[in-house]
Amino acid sequence: MKIFKKSILIFIFLLFPLNLFLLMGSSITVNYPLTIIDDTGTAVTIPQEPQRIISTAPSNTEILFALGLQKKIVGITNYCNFPEETKNIEKIGEMTPLNLEKIISLYPDLILAYPGLQLKEIQRLRELGLSVIALDPLTLEDTFKSVKMIANICGISEKGSLLVDNLTQRVNIIKSKVLKIPISVRPKIFVGSTFETIFTPGAGTLFHELITLAGGENIAAGLSFWKKVSPEFVAQAEPDIIIVPVGAMNQGEESKIKRDLSQHPGWSNIPAIKNQKIFIVNEDLFYRAVPRLVDGLELLYGIFYE
Amino acid sequence: MGSNCYMEFSMNKPLVEIAGYTNWRKKLILMLLVGSLSILVVSLICLNFGVVPINPKDIISLLLNGTQDKTKNLIIWQLRAPRIVLGVITGAALSTVGGAFQGILRNPLADPYILGVSAGAALGACIGIALQHATGYLFASYLPLFAFIGAMFSLYLVYQSSKISYSANSTGLLLAGVAITFLFSALITILLAISRKELQSMVFWLMGDLSAANWKKISIITLPAIIGCLLLFFSSLDLNALSLGEEEALHLGINTGKLRIRIFLIGSIIIASVVSFTGLIGFVGLVIPHIARLLVGPDHRIMLPASAFLGGIFLILCDVLARTVIAPTEIPIGAITAIVGAPLFIYLLRRKNK
Repeated sequence: MKIFKKSILIFIFLLFPLNLFLLMGSSITVNYPLTIIDDTGTAVTIPQEPQRIISTAPSNTEILFALGLQKKIVGITNYCNFPEETKNIEKIGEMTPLNLEKIISLYPDLILAYPGLQLKEIQRLRELGLSVIALDPLTLEDTFKSVKMIANICGISEKGSLLVDNLTQRVNIIKSKVLKIPISVRPKIFVGSTFETIFTPGAGTLFHELITLAGGENIAAGLSFWKKVSPEFVAQAEPDIIIVPVGAMNQGEESKIKRDLSQHPGWSNIPAIKNQKIFIVNEDLFYRAVPRLVDGLELLYGIFYE
Repeated sequence: MGSNCYMEFSMNKPLVEIAGYTNWRKKLILMLLVGSLSILVVSLICLNFGVVPINPKDIISLLLNGTQDKTKNLIIWQLRAPRIVLGVITGAALSTVGGAFQGILRNPLADPYILGVSAGAALGACIGIALQHATGYLFASYLPLFAFIGAMFSLYLVYQSSKISYSANSTGLLLAGVAITFLFSALITILLAISRKELQSMVFWLMGDLSAANWKKISIITLPAIIGCLLLFFSSLDLNALSLGEEEALHLGINTGKLRIRIFLIGSIIIASVVSFTGLIGFVGLVIPHIARLLVGPDHRIMLPASAFLGGIFLILCDVLARTVIAPTEIPIGAITAIVGAPLFIYLLRRKNK
């Protein structure tokens, strides 16, 4: 009898993890309606699997493409320029102010917005009864969370996890390589600009995070966010490498940028300029909270150590 | 009047000419009729403009019974209509206050923003935006409250400092307002300089915008705007007397110091409540009162209501341009008001002087 009781207990005990496993398995298929807490702390209910998505930020558009959801996008902004196929998608105008009438006329059932610029419009669209998810990723980690959140909302959470796992793996490879490099030999990095006034990214920016992860030492690490700095600050920091992001926000031609930096008064003694270690990069890889940040990370590691 | 100096015929008109407005009642009634009719017509026309083409027949049936396509209903009733109503109220309030301020300061360059309220509202709004970003978008819907508190703060400062300086003299009030404006603008500049992420939101607030109009906002600002403007209309006779000159007004038994403070307080509260929701829409309050003066003459009893109507019509027409010229992109309305308003004003000025 005792043995019988025991075996039942053992049987139940064994069943327990199996039950858990079954529960986890069922959570992979998304059940609508779905309630999501977005980056403004608002609980948003998604009644069914979104079929007509509007993205009001280039980052959201890129994530949708990375998840293979491009067929469901019905509207994007004028700034959404990646990948090439964005050319064929209807434009809703600038990122701010959003044209609400245009958005409504496209019958969206999900709007992925950017609260940094669109707080007013997000509130207004919610008042009108539309599902708006505000995404505001500030770090690489946040970016991965956004990818997972969008995947989850669109009922493809597995695909999202897979993409993030893949990206995390690539980040970890760089991390483990950088770990072996002694701090004393890490290069000092200055992020220059094409403007006369120098704005450089400090702590709390994606750019700074990527430089640090790639094994560089940002000369503006002591500042927070993007800050205007003086030419003296740069000269005194003696950076080994200068990175100049170029794109929609900073425009310029490669040879001219290099010439201007080299001829900048008072900078002739900077190691980066003496050794002509000036690199022009695509700003989108460093400004936008998208999977391509990992491309940017690998690019930086290549510039620093290869 | 052969003179080409604008000041002369607007502000320093001889007593006889002002007294010549004996039939002002008839004029006022005619102006009110024409004004309200044209506001109605222009509003209905403006309802037709937007990114989404909706034919006028549908709009009329929507307005009458409201049952139709849900999206069209939403666009007309929740987007276009509130925007037009907010535009009318804002334009009317800015122009009336602009006209009244030009009267009390006896300065044709005065606008509703010259006495510092707007700078206070702007500083309040910028602080609100900075806090929103710092706290992960908490109290996002309280931005107008921040702007209003800022406006009231600057109002208090201007009032106190003008009291200290020469007994609420028009120069004293003007200089206090300008000083506070400069001080607050400097603080805003510092805020803009130390912020990166929230910069664009702040700049857009400073440019003014009607796109976030909704019925709730309208219900909040309507009452202060209407009561305030009526109070200003009822001060018209005093303003007429003041336009003869400081001393002349005193001889007519008007306490100019009190009048000035009263108009300043009423006008500033109107502007604070409107601007808190729309941001700083420029130019309307400066030029519309002058246009009204050119069209109906300098008598404030007619000029102020005329400014209100003209301001309302002008702002909604500018807003239609702002949202249709390069649709779906919207142009900041402050730019349109200046681009359309300046040439119009110069044309009217030239025609009058011929």
